Amino acid sequence: MNLNLLAWNNIRGSAFRSLVVALSALLVASFAVSTTMIMRGAENSLRLALERLGADILVVPQGAEASAETALLMGVPAEMWMPQSNLEAIAAIPGVEKVSPQIYLTTLEDAACCSAPNMFLVVFDPATDFTITPWLKQNVGGELKLGEVVGGHYVFTPEGAENILIYGYFVTLVANMEPTGTGLDQTMFFTLETARDISRISFSRAVTPLVIPENQVSAIMVKVAEDAVPSEVAIDILQNVPNVTPIESPNMFQAYRKQMSGLLSTVLVVMGITWLLSFVLIGLVFSMAANERRREIGVLRALGATRGHVLRSLLAEAGILALVGGSSGVLLAALGIFIFRKTIVESVGVPFIFPSLPSLLLQIGAGVALTLVSVTLAALLPAYRISRMEPSSAMRE
Amino acid sequence: MIELIEVSKTYLLGKDQQVQAVKPTNLQIQSGEFVVITGRSGSGKTTLLNLIAGLTRPTSGSVLLDGHDLWSLSDKEQSLLRNQTVGFIFQFPSLLPSLRVLDNVVLPTIFEESGAVSNEKYARAKELLATVGLSDKLRAYPRQLSAGQQQRVVIARALLNQPKLLLADEPTSNLDEQTETEIMELFRQIHTTTGITMVMVTHTSQLVRYGTRAISMAMGQVLNSGD
Ligand SMILES: Nc1ncnc2c1ncn2[C@@H]1O[C@H](COP(=O)(O)OP(=O)(O)OP(=O)(O)O)[C@@H](O)[C@H]1O
Ligand SMILES: [Mg+2]
Repeated sequence: MNLNLLAWNNIRGSAFRSLVVALSALLVASFAVSTTMIMRGAENSLRLALERLGADILVVPQGAEASAETALLMGVPAEMWMPQSNLEAIAAIPGVEKVSPQIYLTTLEDAACCSAPNMFLVVFDPATDFTITPWLKQNVGGELKLGEVVGGHYVFTPEGAENILIYGYFVTLVANMEPTGTGLDQTMFFTLETARDISRISFSRAVTPLVIPENQVSAIMVKVAEDAVPSEVAIDILQNVPNVTPIESPNMFQAYRKQMSGLLSTVLVVMGITWLLSFVLIGLVFSMAANERRREIGVLRALGATRGHVLRSLLAEAGILALVGGSSGVLLAALGIFIFRKTIVESVGVPFIFPSLPSLLLQIGAGVALTLVSVTLAALLPAYRISRMEPSSAMRE
Repeated sequence: MIELIEVSKTYLLGKDQQVQAVKPTNLQIQSGEFVVITGRSGSGKTTLLNLIAGLTRPTSGSVLLDGHDLWSLSDKEQSLLRNQTVGFIFQFPSLLPSLRVLDNVVLPTIFEESGAVSNEKYARAKELLATVGLSDKLRAYPRQLSAGQQQRVVIARALLNQPKLLLADEPTSNLDEQTETEIMELFRQIHTTTGITMVMVTHTSQLVRYGTRAISMAMGQVLNSGD
């Protein structure tokens, strides 16, 4: 027997009331944790995608900014073309250190061949590329040969097969990249040489051949010299190269960031309201409970309980309920998000990556702590009031 | 043992409505006495008992317990004093329904400094439950006991810390006549074997014969302090 056991007995003794409090705690905790997890996951995902792209400036055809970003973030394939001559024009701009072209392609919809219909394909030029090649050197130990591809995290070879069939052409998946939570995870990367080979073969083997326009590219990756200012270089490109839009990497995915911050403020408001309602509800439940137990508390005071004992035992009761409700809430939230992470990406329309273990533990801990503090605060006023009551008045009906 | 000096208690009912539950009273109770307080309902008996126990602050006057002015003590000191020297038996069911009989009896121990219940306390609780004839009910819950049995558990709980003073507020009001007699015999036995000071409130004047002194109250006034 001790004071905490007394609190525990009170919890068991009024199961319904305890359930209401624990469920409110669960609701607040799971809501808080799931929203922060999604928001942080989206932010991390954007950061990783930017790192993966590895260019200071991405130049795309004018008007294609949105579809390029959607393609890179959500894996929605996009086609865009501009003259290859832009490459030299941009390379000539002062402050530009490296330029490299990329070509964006799409697999055929419903092509019975492919592991994922409508897959986004990124073609790079190994001669000039500075974004994928360094990764290849580190992880594959060399360059991609003809017919070899690397895939985003979720690209895989169909079970039982040794190759992936695109446009009637067998490519070999040699490596997968780390997950980013973005469309890059569903993207396949290969060289210009392979692309041309696929195109050539596709005319005889595919229903719809893969057409790569001559002397056209989809995007140009720009690396800015150490001593140059990226924003100035971007302005130069805009002024000197016709019909293109340069996107500085920090400005990339602006539309998504806006959408996310809009979502964030809505979520914050809803969260605030939920928190407030639960706070009031829990406060009311505790003042009802304290009132219901007035006589019992009067008896305990007569038996030698100090005001502090009464306060502590009521707060312990709140604390236990907060811990039970709060930790189940955060665990449920984390589990739910883990299970439905793909659905979340699709329905919310933002990229998402599940947090790393330390970050996950931190968020879970913070969620439980927040719940503990909130519930204890909500119970504090009623608990304090009853603890200050004269024992004789507490005992009167 | 107990000394009330010009003690009164007035309750505020509304804005300018008040009731003087106990009018200014002087009262001394010596160690070892068994005082029985009688009076009609609303005459102020419970209030007087609460004043003696320090469960309500007097509107005027002072309450001395063993020479200590109760209301010069801090909440902690006062609570400890109650815990160690006063045993209570209430008019209403006062066992915690969620605790077994044995745990109900050791309950006062959790408010002591250590906060935990020692084996000696459990042993003493069992002994006391044997004294009140409930050795076979240690693991029962209060709702499984009759009203008379419950009141016996309350008596055991009141005696746990070997108090010097036992206060009982109409301890038999919920009981049938036979059980009442059994409980009163138990009180008499406790009083003679331990020499504990007892103050009991009742409105059954027949019970006065169990005490060593009778006090009657009417309308907040102690009419006959019996000495
Ligand atoms: N906490 C309180 N607040 C307001 N009035 C009170 C309070 N306690 C007692 N009273 C009033 O004081 C008067 C005396 O009450 P008390 O309970 O002391 O009487 P009693 O003799 O014990 O009665 P009973 O035999 O019914 O128990 C009553 O009028 C009662 O209504
Ligand atoms: Mg009374």
